Amino acid sequence: MAKIDKVVLKETKYIALWVIIFSLIMEAVFLIINKWDYTVLLGNLLSATVGVLNFFLMGLGVQKAVMQEEKEAKQTMKVSNLMRTFLLFVAAVIGVTVSVFNNWAVIIPLFFPRVAILLRPLFDKRKDENKNAE
Amino acid sequence: MLELAIGIILGCCALGAGMAMIAGIGPGIGEGNAVAKACEAIGRQPESKGAVTSTMLMGCAIAETTGLYALVIAILLIFVAPGMLVNILMSVI
Repeated sequence: MAKIDKVVLKETKYIALWVIIFSLIMEAVFLIINKWDYTVLLGNLLSATVGVLNFFLMGLGVQKAVMQEEKEAKQTMKVSNLMRTFLLFVAAVIGVTVSVFNNWAVIIPLFFPRVAILLRPLFDKRKDENKNAE
Repeated sequence: MLELAIGIILGCCALGAGMAMIAGIGPGIGEGNAVAKACEAIGRQPESKGAVTSTMLMGCAIAETTGLYALVIAILLIFVAPGMLVNILMSVI
């Protein structure tokens, strides 16, 4: 088995941390609007795990692809994307059809990694400002 | 007549889901192109591998969200929408 790149691990940790934070916020919102039950928790667990796993697998795909020739790299990423889309499809179908998972709690956390990435420039900017101040 | 209406609803939902999934093709092609260019960049400047990989990972994740939107819409159209629409039809009748 190939060694996992440090960059992939670092980015996955960052995404996982934000997914946990957003999941807690979502659970709190469900509690506040009085719609919380165990199905929300299970749906959130399933979806958040799949979201982070999807990002990690994409990282592994990228790590493998950057070592290859251009054409091979394109092919590797296409196959990786297809496999990950299938994984997401299976997870979402299980989440929506099985009644122990809340539909919204399954769908919403799939977008948490995207929100985490959108927030990233804000924190990077703050870090840069702190460095400049020092 | 009612069966025909339900059939049309189910058919339209399935068609809509299929059409939504066309958007799933884009991220695969986009990611492939991005990685190909990243390979080129790393080939030119091997010392920037870490920075290029990190930026590309984030870019790929953003690109993939488009496919995710399509997937979610398709799943909702297949599993959630038909039931809701049939219920609305029944309540109207």
